[in-house]
Amino acid sequence: MPDIGGDPLFVLEFGDILHYYTPYTITLFLLALIFTGLAIASRPERQIDIAFGGDAYYAKETTISEMRFRRFMAIACGLATMGAMGSGDIFNFTLFVSLVGIANIGIVAAVKSRHVLNAAYEYGIVAMVATLPLFGGAALVAATTGTLAISVLAGGGFAVPLVAKAFLALGVIGEGMAPFYAAKAEMFRAPGAPYVIMCSLSSLLIFLRVVEIVITI
Amino acid sequence: MIEYLVFAAAFGLLLLGLHRKVIARVQMRPGPPVWQEILHALKFSFKSTWVPKTASSLLYVGVVLIGIGIWSAALFVVLAGESILILFAIYMLHKIVEHGFGLSSGSPYGKFGGVRSVISAASEIPLFVTIAAIYFFTDSLLLRDIIAYQAIHGPLLLIAPPAAIAMYIVILSKLPYGPFSIVESKELVSGYKTEHFGVWRAGISVIDGLKTFVLLFAFVAIFIGAVPFSLALVIMTVVLVSLSFVCAVTPMLSPFDSVTVQGIVTLLMVGYAGVLWWVMP
Repeated sequence: MPDIGGDPLFVLEFGDILHYYTPYTITLFLLALIFTGLAIASRPERQIDIAFGGDAYYAKETTISEMRFRRFMAIACGLATMGAMGSGDIFNFTLFVSLVGIANIGIVAAVKSRHVLNAAYEYGIVAMVATLPLFGGAALVAATTGTLAISVLAGGGFAVPLVAKAFLALGVIGEGMAPFYAAKAEMFRAPGAPYVIMCSLSSLLIFLRVVEIVITI
Repeated sequence: MIEYLVFAAAFGLLLLGLHRKVIARVQMRPGPPVWQEILHALKFSFKSTWVPKTASSLLYVGVVLIGIGIWSAALFVVLAGESILILFAIYMLHKIVEHGFGLSSGSPYGKFGGVRSVISAASEIPLFVTIAAIYFFTDSLLLRDIIAYQAIHGPLLLIAPPAAIAMYIVILSKLPYGPFSIVESKELVSGYKTEHFGVWRAGISVIDGLKTFVLLFAFVAIFIGAVPFSLALVIMTVVLVSLSFVCAVTPMLSPFDSVTVQGIVTLLMVGYAGVLWWVMP
């Protein structure tokens, strides 16, 4: 069992598929859980914008139906992130990560603003393209070692190709592009802090998990 | 356990006060007393407190508690000699807390501070590469194993100085009044902290104190090894004073330049880690 994130605290077996938590992954899992709870329970803020050329400011209005859909996507994103944190199987991890990418697009794309929709479209293209190296990395691991179980790969005796690890990392960076879009339109224009934060959080968490996986296998 | 937290937060705030004092003296100003940051935290604890009407109230309050929670966890990770990968995770997740501070109030100033926090993600990558470089030497990321390695082979500061320099820059990027302090620059009022006042601001002070203590203590443990606690505090103070000198003589960079410089440090560290990967058995 990998010990790079500390000694395993809990192992859940589904046949030959393992779900395990180390102090490292349980920390990440709990943070995903807390922020998902906040997304469920929080009401969105009323974003204030300053009108250029004067002292005036105005509060952006958003519809309840839009916020409901974004909250649903934020919860889905949180659940997928939690799944990715505890997964002991590389294929399951890639599935959860791709779900995070889709949910992130949903959180942003529901905003009825041309600028935000443009950003979501670009974001969506990157996330979809990134599934290729993501699943390609998992396929390479399976093809070269005959297993996708992280615990087995961590045991040693397998030569996981560097390109497979690079593909996995590249795929995760592509799926969790939210921090790279922070300075772009959606973060500035889209209200709904509890949901926008889930984009950033899930991206960071899956990146932190893939770091552990790549070092471990 | 609570006494560790109180001590770490108070000592961290004292270090931040010393940081301001050193910067002021270098710039030929008298500066505030060194316990000013502790006084600030106490003062804010008793000031009137409420939640802005436009804020997402639960998130507005929740991020303060999460911030204190993650840095408390980081303190115990360091004291227990657990995996420094957890420390890396907490350092990165602090960005989400800053983002939460900024976005939750609905204020444009806080929002820009939060967004700047996210775009300065370049400062995290040198820390990750530092951790990877350490792993090449110690073959473990558990802090107790790293300390045991140094007991046999000597301080990592001498074995892997580029990694130490990279972590030094990482700590520098989190200090206030430094070249990378774009999240709190004056054109944003107080950046992501702008709309958090009263008890919430006192909570942010506690977070800052814990963060400063944990990062400096981790630096000592990772690059110097096991030393008596009192000596560790002295070394932390010396490291902080050196950082304060850097902050005092360096202007704040623009957001673009800040990210560029951190990106260059990352590239250099990736090159160093690549060389280590190539030459290490």
